[in-house]
Amino acid sequence: MTNRKSKKFTAFIWHRRIGLAAIALVVILAITGIALNHTEQLELDSTYVDSTLLMNWYGLEPETAPVTFAADDHHITQWGHQVFFDNNAVAKNEQTLRGAVKAEQFIVLAYDSELHLLTFDGQLVERIPTGTSFTETQRLGIKYNRPVIETANKLVYMADEHIIDWDVILNEGIVWSQTVPLDDSEMEQLRIALRGNGLSMERVVVDLHSGRIFGSLGIYVMDAAALGLLWLSGSGLWVWWSRTRKQRKKKHYQKHHRR
Amino acid sequence: MIKTFIITLSLLAGQLALAGGVYMEPDAFIRQAFDDHPPATKVLWLDKTLKAEIETILQHKYNGFRVRYWREGERSAWVLDEIGKNKPITTGIVIDKGRIEQIRVLVFRESRGWEVRHDFFTKQFEQIELTQEDELSSNIDNISGATLSVRAITKQARVALLLHRTVMQQQE
Repeated sequence: MTNRKSKKFTAFIWHRRIGLAAIALVVILAITGIALNHTEQLELDSTYVDSTLLMNWYGLEPETAPVTFAADDHHITQWGHQVFFDNNAVAKNEQTLRGAVKAEQFIVLAYDSELHLLTFDGQLVERIPTGTSFTETQRLGIKYNRPVIETANKLVYMADEHIIDWDVILNEGIVWSQTVPLDDSEMEQLRIALRGNGLSMERVVVDLHSGRIFGSLGIYVMDAAALGLLWLSGSGLWVWWSRTRKQRKKKHYQKHHRR
Repeated sequence: MIKTFIITLSLLAGQLALAGGVYMEPDAFIRQAFDDHPPATKVLWLDKTLKAEIETILQHKYNGFRVRYWREGERSAWVLDEIGKNKPITTGIVIDKGRIEQIRVLVFRESRGWEVRHDFFTKQFEQIELTQEDELSSNIDNISGATLSVRAITKQARVALLLHRTVMQQQE
């Protein structure tokens, strides 16, 4: 008799236990699931995380050191493939940044075979492949307020004031763009800017949803939470069905067998 | 069995080698477009209205304020970049009297979708013009597995036609 009674309550007890154990994970699954269903409206893919804790957790440390050139009062830095105007990401380029100068109308950035023209407040005006005029840029300089390029074959080209055409000139009186060091505070600002662009909120939410944010073990924890949910739906049905049956039996007994 | 395996592998490697890369340097495209005598480079400055129209076609923000082009009479050539999935596809487009004369994928940097470089795809654009609603006058058939690249090239064609129309209107 005692055994039968405890058996009857097993499903209910485990329903309660598993429900309590899974509550935090189910809340995470539900909230992140809703968020992922509305990625565009919540702008998760264009929102970036700047929490140092999260960045370190993801191991987002740049592999190479940044290279910075001074153009007037601004710093132009390439860190990995990302190019910054001061601390603002302006472009991405896989080629090596060869220099940056302030010319008459634009700030000019030179890469191996491409130029970027920026406004004086750091907005990208144009990307120019240099293949039509020259290739293999080595150095960028300035003369008469116009950008000057030195190529691998030691030829020197100067642009017109609108930076449309280039002419060969003598290598005289050119001030070449030089790299400048960054102090600790500037490095930290740049690190934040770089990391801020590297981790989207969408990725964090996806990783939270899948459990990957907690490493490979996290995936199994989330799997357990999902299995827990399956168990809860099954055990919930069982508890409901067994209670309904019990009540029916009770009513039947009261109706037909009571004296 | 091993022989078959090796042959299959080599064919696969050959296919991969054919995939992304530089198919034609942009300057070579411009030279061939004008029979080795390209006209002087010109630039078109984008005002707010034009930039907004470009962004409507691209369905994203456009970075830049000017675009360079080459023009001879009613014929113009453009080299445009547009992201396929993650990386830009560089495409050369020649327009004559408001209709696409030639479209060619110059640089393909993605790992998938490079089939758009083939003539069977690019030939669909020939003689297409821009409608009043800035749409292409004919439908472009999709390539299975290269949907994003097809979309990018189609957008580039629309942008080039829009820019060409603007340049011609400025002349009037």
